[in-house]
Amino acid sequence: MNIWESFKIALSSIWNHKIRSILTMLGIIIGVAAVIIIVAIGQGTKKQMTDELFATDKNAIQIYYEYIPPEGEEGMFWEEPELTSEDIQTLSEVPGVKAVLATNQGWGMMVHDEEQGEMQITGVGPEFFSARDIKVVEGRALYAADNDGLNRVLLIDTIAREKFFKETENPIGEIIDLNDNPYKIVGVYESPLPEQFRNMESGEMIMPRSVISMMFGNREIEQLSVIASDPESISETGRLAAETLTAEKGLENGKYSTNDFEDYERELNTMISLLTLLIGSIAGISLLVGGIGVMNIMLVSVTERTREIGLRKAIGATRRKILLQFLIESITLTSLGGMIGIGLAVIGSIIVSKFSPITATISPLIVLIGVSFSAFIGIIFGLLPANKASKLSPIDALRYE
Amino acid sequence: MMKLSDITKVYGKGSLEVPVLHGIDLTIEDGEFVAIMGPSGSGKSTLMNIIGFLDYPSSGTYELNGEQIASAKESILARLRNEHVGFVFQQFFMFPRDNAIKNVASPLVYSGVSKRERTARAKDLLEKVGLGDRMKHLPNQLSGGQKQRVAIARALVNNPTILLADEPTGALDSKTSEQIMKLFTQLNEEGKTVIIVTHEEEIAAYAKRIITIKDGLITEDRRVTS
Repeated sequence: MNIWESFKIALSSIWNHKIRSILTMLGIIIGVAAVIIIVAIGQGTKKQMTDELFATDKNAIQIYYEYIPPEGEEGMFWEEPELTSEDIQTLSEVPGVKAVLATNQGWGMMVHDEEQGEMQITGVGPEFFSARDIKVVEGRALYAADNDGLNRVLLIDTIAREKFFKETENPIGEIIDLNDNPYKIVGVYESPLPEQFRNMESGEMIMPRSVISMMFGNREIEQLSVIASDPESISETGRLAAETLTAEKGLENGKYSTNDFEDYERELNTMISLLTLLIGSIAGISLLVGGIGVMNIMLVSVTERTREIGLRKAIGATRRKILLQFLIESITLTSLGGMIGIGLAVIGSIIVSKFSPITATISPLIVLIGVSFSAFIGIIFGLLPANKASKLSPIDALRYE
Repeated sequence: MMKLSDITKVYGKGSLEVPVLHGIDLTIEDGEFVAIMGPSGSGKSTLMNIIGFLDYPSSGTYELNGEQIASAKESILARLRNEHVGFVFQQFFMFPRDNAIKNVASPLVYSGVSKRERTARAKDLLEKVGLGDRMKHLPNQLSGGQKQRVAIARALVNNPTILLADEPTGALDSKTSEQIMKLFTQLNEEGKTVIIVTHEEEIAAYAKRIITIKDGLITEDRRVTS
């Protein structure tokens, strides 16, 4: 008798007790499904948070000013040093720096025809377009001359274009009203921001940062970041750039530093992993309980089938073959439960991905672990009943009432 | 040929010991038709179980065709049960969810015979015991006599040399009993060693040798000359 025969006997025995088998498997099904879904959601969350936090800035690192108060002083009031085009030039010459992004921000009420809307304005330099991979879909980007000449021109994003202009209308060259001042639209661009960070209501716009500085009274450079030519060495490049800038400015009571996102990212990942592990282990307990359920049912089954075991022994089944038959039966039971559980987990993660912002990602590894773990539970919890069955003496088993 | 020398069997341990067989010496040649008789509790079933490798003797030696098997391993006994003997029980003992063919073929599963051959052999034997028209029936669709025929076919399926029957007619009416005993007689004539345990004189009368057991000892061993 080979394994296949044992497997067939096991399957028919499971089939003959359908309801009992399904109830027995339920513990395994729920356990496996819960573990896989939780791990999938955990991984999905991790991936999404990492993507959101770092994807747009994968190779960009922000440089910010940090005030160091002199000994004995509180350091409540301080002023950030003014940054100039020369500073940007210096930074762009730091080894490993591909581009320097210098921006500032403004808000404004845009009015055109009947429409009006509050919009976020980013003040940029010409380098912004290539460094941020901005796609200009209509018109042109900003030139260096726009910045130098304080040209009151701007680009709107596709959301604003849809809000303020008809499909057939050409917005290029249109004069719009922003905070009661006229500006000329020179282009339309596709927003590079992830969807959830965009201003979905009225869209956003880009204009020369010198113009924002002049019209809004902001400093010309409010945010500064460098883009590394090698994303791998982003931290070192950022540090080097910050040090260079600190030295260049000859600062005494302050310095430029960078955020080390890698540490942050690592910390966040550890936290999510820990959380997933915690919830996953709680779900794992349900697997354990399921396993005990399987053992219980198998023990009942052994008692109930004592005569069958006696008969099998009388017609020539060895102890090993009885052991194998019951072991295969419990492994089949748990593996089947495991596979149904995986099926449910797949459906569950599709539902989760559809109705929540998290994309639950089921990795093949966790499926493999799920199946082998449920088979392992079958072995562990099937061993005791199978051993009990195999040890029955044939004549006692036949006489069992 | 089987030769049992000074076989004893004790159930239980210590103060709960119950001796059942007290030293049985018995030789049965191939092709014999033996009835083992005795009142209930005499130890006749225990003796049959030892002869059929279903149970171990507590002491003594058992030779089968010149080979010692009294202290053999469990796996060897299982093999002997599978290949050398066929059992027929009073309560029939069937796999309730398997049809007649599968029940008859069941011992062959443990001797590694292919499914096609198993089915072919089972069908042949069901024809032989007169159940050619009941092959696909489940045990609960068969009468007692038919079940016992299925059991006999199952006992024969691995072509054993010895047929062992423990009160094979105990649950059957007299007419069916007669048919079953005729079947055993026919099988004995074809060369099988048949050993039947019974407490009924009429059943024992079919045998050619009647052994009587009382309180774990052979009290009479008589050959019937017809």
